[in-house]
Amino acid sequence: MLHRLESLESCNYNGMDVAVLERQAARLKWQQQNYVVQNNNLVELCASSMPQFQGLIGSNIGSGQMVQLKRPEVFLGSGDFQEFVNFPVAGAEFGDSEKLDLVPPEAAADYCISRTSSCQMTALNTSVMKEEREDMVLEKMESTTGSGRESFNKRKPEAVADHKGKNKRIKGEGESEVKTKCSTEISRNSSKENSKASEVQKLDYIHVRARRGQATDSHSLAERARREKISMKMKCLQDLVPGCNKITGKAGMLDEIINYVQSLQRQVEFLSMKIAALNSSVQFNVENLPMKEFPAYVANFPAAAKLPAMAGLPYFQLNPLQKESVNCMLNESILPAQTATEGIASASVSISEQSLSSSSMTQLQPFSTWNMDPQGSSSNLTVIFHSSSIVRVEYIRIWHLIRYTPDTDTS
Amino acid sequence: MNPSSLKSRFATRFLRALTQIHARKPICPSSPTEIFRRYRRIKAAADKSMAYSVRSRRTWTGAVLWKLRSRSCGRRSVKTSTLVKSQQAIEKKTRHEKQNKNTTTTTGGHGVGFGVEATASELRELVPGGEAMDYCNLLDETAHYIKCLTTQVKVMKKIADFYSL
Repeated sequence: MLHRLESLESCNYNGMDVAVLERQAARLKWQQQNYVVQNNNLVELCASSMPQFQGLIGSNIGSGQMVQLKRPEVFLGSGDFQEFVNFPVAGAEFGDSEKLDLVPPEAAADYCISRTSSCQMTALNTSVMKEEREDMVLEKMESTTGSGRESFNKRKPEAVADHKGKNKRIKGEGESEVKTKCSTEISRNSSKENSKASEVQKLDYIHVRARRGQATDSHSLAERARREKISMKMKCLQDLVPGCNKITGKAGMLDEIINYVQSLQRQVEFLSMKIAALNSSVQFNVENLPMKEFPAYVANFPAAAKLPAMAGLPYFQLNPLQKESVNCMLNESILPAQTATEGIASASVSISEQSLSSSSMTQLQPFSTWNMDPQGSSSNLTVIFHSSSIVRVEYIRIWHLIRYTPDTDTS
Repeated sequence: MNPSSLKSRFATRFLRALTQIHARKPICPSSPTEIFRRYRRIKAAADKSMAYSVRSRRTWTGAVLWKLRSRSCGRRSVKTSTLVKSQQAIEKKTRHEKQNKNTTTTTGGHGVGFGVEATASELRELVPGGEAMDYCNLLDETAHYIKCLTTQVKVMKKIADFYSL
């Protein structure tokens, strides 16, 4: 093993020391014991992509293809990760392929691609990894010989990497994002043989792939992962909030979300106020409500037929926007019943508007009993009808509020 | 209507609560204070039934229920042992979340811009229980909360429409 390392040194490998190698090996071993694993699906993917990978690696393919690697480690939260990442790369990029930070840079493009994919490092694996790393470095050296082949026998199968851009896999999102095209980028001159099938353990990973030109330290990777998560959640929120499709940018979206939540809360308050106010005129028996039956329209309801004078009443909506307005309204003096007639007339104007919202009628639950107290309700009526003109104006505002359609074309 | 959907669960619970509210107080002539009091009760019933109707317990449901209980218990100034326990559980949870929040914001704080943090704090005030969550979880809670609020509004709208008829 030592002589290999010496040859390595002599080859002026980009500043990588043997001592550094060993130190990093030791550190890696320590790190791997602390890794958190997350993604289950990835393992199956790797297993499925293995055969292709094995098939591909035996041939000398051009520079256009890339092997897919799997990073066995969780990158987030690992303080020492940077060194690990930089280990084989030694800071330089290779060829025109931007993806592999792990691939050692070599202008001659003699590099070995495969890495182990097991995350839980047992003692065996760590030793294997050590050897692999050395082998990896050596690969560059053995440019023309095919002798590197056997060194790969110990390699575990690798993983899946996206050869363009970032590839981050989190619990279950991994499968959709993973592109399992197995393009292999192999050293030009030597044919590498992929290792045998993996003893990839069924572990979970978070795989983050750094884009070309982006920093690869653990903090920025963690940051990027977090930002990805946040943007995904913002997309879900965009689906929930109506009218958000045109808004781009986090700040605008957040404002929209805040407005929507506020409007929903206000609607709940308003509706509970309405129910409270209107409940004073009706009694009902809820225990007999069957869940699956839908009532006929109230027009068919027997009780309504008994009170033709009150026919206007059902179509009137109480329209206070806030509790203060309700209180104001109800604080007004109770007018004599003569106003009821004009109230009904004005109330009928709102019938047409009401019909727009009555599409929800079909889904109401039936009330088995319906008791109308004429005396009690008439006093309510007079109070309500007194301010019907004000109410109509309010009604239109509230209608739009309830609809909450920021787009005017749907009104 | 799917009998086991969130909508139907909330509807049954809310209607039952409404009947209880009616049964408790006789239908007296509408004085504004009476109506206001009933409004408060109805709103509390709506929130409570919504919080109970969700299948997966969320932070905001716990916060809503805790607020309601503390408010009602504060009025009566009687604390039962169960209430104390639930309060402690929620306090522990918020403390734990605060710790998480501290750790995540220190590492990831610069990822979110400063202006976004201001609106995020506004969102925290809106969503119940949102003060002690980190940004990611806050967005999750907001999504779930919005979904439940829309259901609540739909059902209450239908009930109110029916009442007004």
